[in-house]
Amino acid sequence: MSKIILIGSPNSGKSLLFNRLTGLSQKVANFPGITVDVATGRLAAAPGMSLVDFPGTYSLQPISGEERVATEYFTQALDDPEVTQVLCLVDITRLEKSLYFTLQVVRECARHGKRALVVANMMDVLAKHGISVDLEGLGAEIGAPVLPVSARTGEGLDAVVAHLTNTADTSIDNNSALAETPDTLLRGNAHQLARKYGPRGDLLIKTQTRLDGFFLHSALGGFAFFAIMFLLFQSIFTWAAPAMDAVEAGLGALADWVVPLIGPQMAKDFTSDAIFSGIGAFLVFVPQIFVLTFVIGLLEDSGYMARAALICHKPLRLFGLTGKSFIPMLSGVACAIPGIYAARSVDSPMKRLLTYMAIPLMPCSARLPVYTLLIAAFIPNTTALGGLVGLQGLAMFCTYFFGMFTGLIVTGLVSRTREDHYTDLPFVLEMPPYRLPALPPLLRTCWNRCRHFITKAGAIIFTVTVVVWFLGYFPNYGADLGESWLGQVGQVVEPAFAPLGLDWRYGVAIMTSFLAREVFVGTLGTMFGIEGADENMVPLVDQIQASGLPLASGVALLFFFAIALMCVSTLAILGRESGSYRLAVKLFLAYGALAYLGAIGVFQLVSLFSG
Amino acid sequence: MSTSLWSLRAGDEGRITGFDDALAENYRVRLMELGFHPGETVACLQAPAFGAPKVFRVSNTVFSLDDEVAAHINIETSAS
Repeated sequence: MSKIILIGSPNSGKSLLFNRLTGLSQKVANFPGITVDVATGRLAAAPGMSLVDFPGTYSLQPISGEERVATEYFTQALDDPEVTQVLCLVDITRLEKSLYFTLQVVRECARHGKRALVVANMMDVLAKHGISVDLEGLGAEIGAPVLPVSARTGEGLDAVVAHLTNTADTSIDNNSALAETPDTLLRGNAHQLARKYGPRGDLLIKTQTRLDGFFLHSALGGFAFFAIMFLLFQSIFTWAAPAMDAVEAGLGALADWVVPLIGPQMAKDFTSDAIFSGIGAFLVFVPQIFVLTFVIGLLEDSGYMARAALICHKPLRLFGLTGKSFIPMLSGVACAIPGIYAARSVDSPMKRLLTYMAIPLMPCSARLPVYTLLIAAFIPNTTALGGLVGLQGLAMFCTYFFGMFTGLIVTGLVSRTREDHYTDLPFVLEMPPYRLPALPPLLRTCWNRCRHFITKAGAIIFTVTVVVWFLGYFPNYGADLGESWLGQVGQVVEPAFAPLGLDWRYGVAIMTSFLAREVFVGTLGTMFGIEGADENMVPLVDQIQASGLPLASGVALLFFFAIALMCVSTLAILGRESGSYRLAVKLFLAYGALAYLGAIGVFQLVSLFSG
Repeated sequence: MSTSLWSLRAGDEGRITGFDDALAENYRVRLMELGFHPGETVACLQAPAFGAPKVFRVSNTVFSLDDEVAAHINIETSAS
């Protein structure tokens, strides 16, 4: 099968063109070393030809490690005999930023004997403003045909397909002069050609400038930013919640139907508690991932994402981050997993790493039941300042912000130890025009992201769930968690929890919370002989209070859960997305140590003051 | 008047004269690839409050640059 490479600079409309040309037949994969999806699809008009969508870049002269990987993949692909043509997409309304890259691509094609076709996108925008461009003249100068299209309306695509499928024309433009041209000369050529052929911009960016005047306005822009971020946050918490409930209810109903059909009790327990819990443990995240990917995709495709990054850049830079880190971190307040996926939009590898470090410290929703239980058990339900401030509410607020604050402190400190500042990408962010997002490619991205999560992280999450079930079930076949192997381990490691004033039951609950933090509540309930504590915490709160556990232990536990990376799903997806399971393990150990040692310190301190 | 790109206010224009030595080579290359060539006219479209990155137009593309980059791009303005 012959392959065609599709390449272009960012914000040129590549995804939409790819979608138009391939229809529904797509496969998405990740190049090792970079976080960008690479999709492959058969040409709808010629199923014998496949189109490979390469990562968008501004230049084949890389300035970061990640760009280098993407560039090397492109030049390696040109050595592949199956690759016959290269389709280079340019945004004709902004020719200057695409032309140098286009000349580099055409030069590489000349060097490797591949046919190059340049496609000038956004012709509909030019037509709307009554502007015309001499594409034939431009094509003659760059040494490759330039065809006009509008990926949005589909206009011009027939001619592109006809050109690509015209295999009878095997001629390759004789670009021997271009093949020898170095980058420095090419840059000058691109600049001159852009001046000669590029449309003049005043008209084209008029609307953009007017909208920027609103969205970047000191007061109105700030208001719009908070409103949009509020919607984004709501989308994860509120809109995904019914779908998450439906997933849980659906699995529950399926389990109720399947489990009674199974004979032996052990197989029944395994199916009900390990298989269904294991599948539920990762399927429940899928709606959140879908909704968040959709909303973030809307922000990216509409052009607002770049504006949001600009607004947040300055304060986040203080902590070694970039404006693009904000949305992943905000998503992390709902759930770390969609947050980690959202960090793909951070193009600087160093800043993306720092964003990965901050996300697990954001107070995710799985921490909420743990905080609620501990605060209800240890903080008196009284008010201060003449009834204005409730102590429990204040404790919740402080615990929430403590996590965020710690995340920023960690990234601030780590960034100051890094020496790769000047090998990192500069903050030069293209402000794309405001556009109405195209839904089909966006929905496809959402679907691909969910599939990626299920296939890549699901196995790890499922395996860990089954192992924990196994340890908690044997040797007494689920009769008593305290007597199980897990309980025995808890008793063995009890001395480790003693400096926090906790007994082995809390140790077991902490260990099981590795599956998901909220499991702590249910397990602790089981250890205290209370069923359904995760649904109704009151009896468990009463038991904890009656057990005489000191306030210092409660505050130490709050501290521990605010910091510790107790979430196998987060670790699995962190390892996958960062391409480094070592990073995931390092973060788990580092945050675990910080949480544990810090909790001991907090225990001592609170003990001192509370007598 | 010679100054830096960062000093432009919204509505101002300037002509790029070169890059400061403090700007890393790879940054310069990337900026030129994007159109920030010496001799090119750059307009500041937005200068948001609180030191946020400013928005500049070069050719017909709009970019946002922070002070770490824009302060090292030398320009000449028509103001005396």
